[in-house]
Amino acid sequence: MKQLLLKLEPVVWLLFGQGILIGTILLTGWILVVNLGVPLGIVPADALAYGRAHALASNPIGRLVLLALIALPLWKGAHHLRSLSIDFGGAGRDTAVAGVLYGIAALGSLLGVFAVLGL
Amino acid sequence: MARAAHPEAMAPSKPGRTRTAPPQMPPKFPMQGRYRAYTIFDATGLVYLLMGFGVLHAVRALGDGAAAWQAVLAGWANPVYVAFHLLALASVLFVGVRFFRLFPKAQPPRIGPARPPPGPVIHGMLYAVWIGVSVVFVAILAGGIFR
Repeated sequence: MKQLLLKLEPVVWLLFGQGILIGTILLTGWILVVNLGVPLGIVPADALAYGRAHALASNPIGRLVLLALIALPLWKGAHHLRSLSIDFGGAGRDTAVAGVLYGIAALGSLLGVFAVLGL
Repeated sequence: MARAAHPEAMAPSKPGRTRTAPPQMPPKFPMQGRYRAYTIFDATGLVYLLMGFGVLHAVRALGDGAAAWQAVLAGWANPVYVAFHLLALASVLFVGVRFFRLFPKAQPPRIGPARPPPGPVIHGMLYAVWIGVSVVFVAILAGGIFR
């Protein structure tokens, strides 16, 4: 398992780095409008009425943006939680922690692929 | 919080004859001095992980039809979700500001024949992209364009 983690490290770091960069850039607008603006009535609800939201999400660029919004924060989160675990005395259990966290991120990313393809 | 660090944290690749003191965690770790921002930066990982699953939940609802989508949006008006999403917004802003400040320092001194632009220029470009993309994304989602 440890050897596998070492082999996957460049891929994990790529996804982690893009999670910070692209994930942060995309999440800002998403949170402002979808998570806060519409539910709190700051943004008119018809902006994200089902028909319009589905049309935006189901075109190729929309699917790609949504997949980035799902997968990249998952990998950023998984890698930073692994780092936090090591810093708080978890170096001895790092292989297991990393396996679980990256497994969660990989599973979420896979579900994300199916979700955007299913739109 | 001075305590013993992992005994192999600073171990050389080959055992040497020089005796070294066992590594210690810095006394100000995790929440004092410069370690506070470092620890919070790592801890935002939990918020990002939950946000990734939150977006996944929304996309699956969108695929399930109008009723499921409206239920997700209505559910996010719950004060618990509002508080979490405010925390997520604060986390995203914190990560962006901290990462973009570190980004110019992480550039190689030379890429082939070219030197990267000065730090303040890279810094300004990152903020311009962040603000620009956010404004366009907000305008699209909020119905300002592509109606």
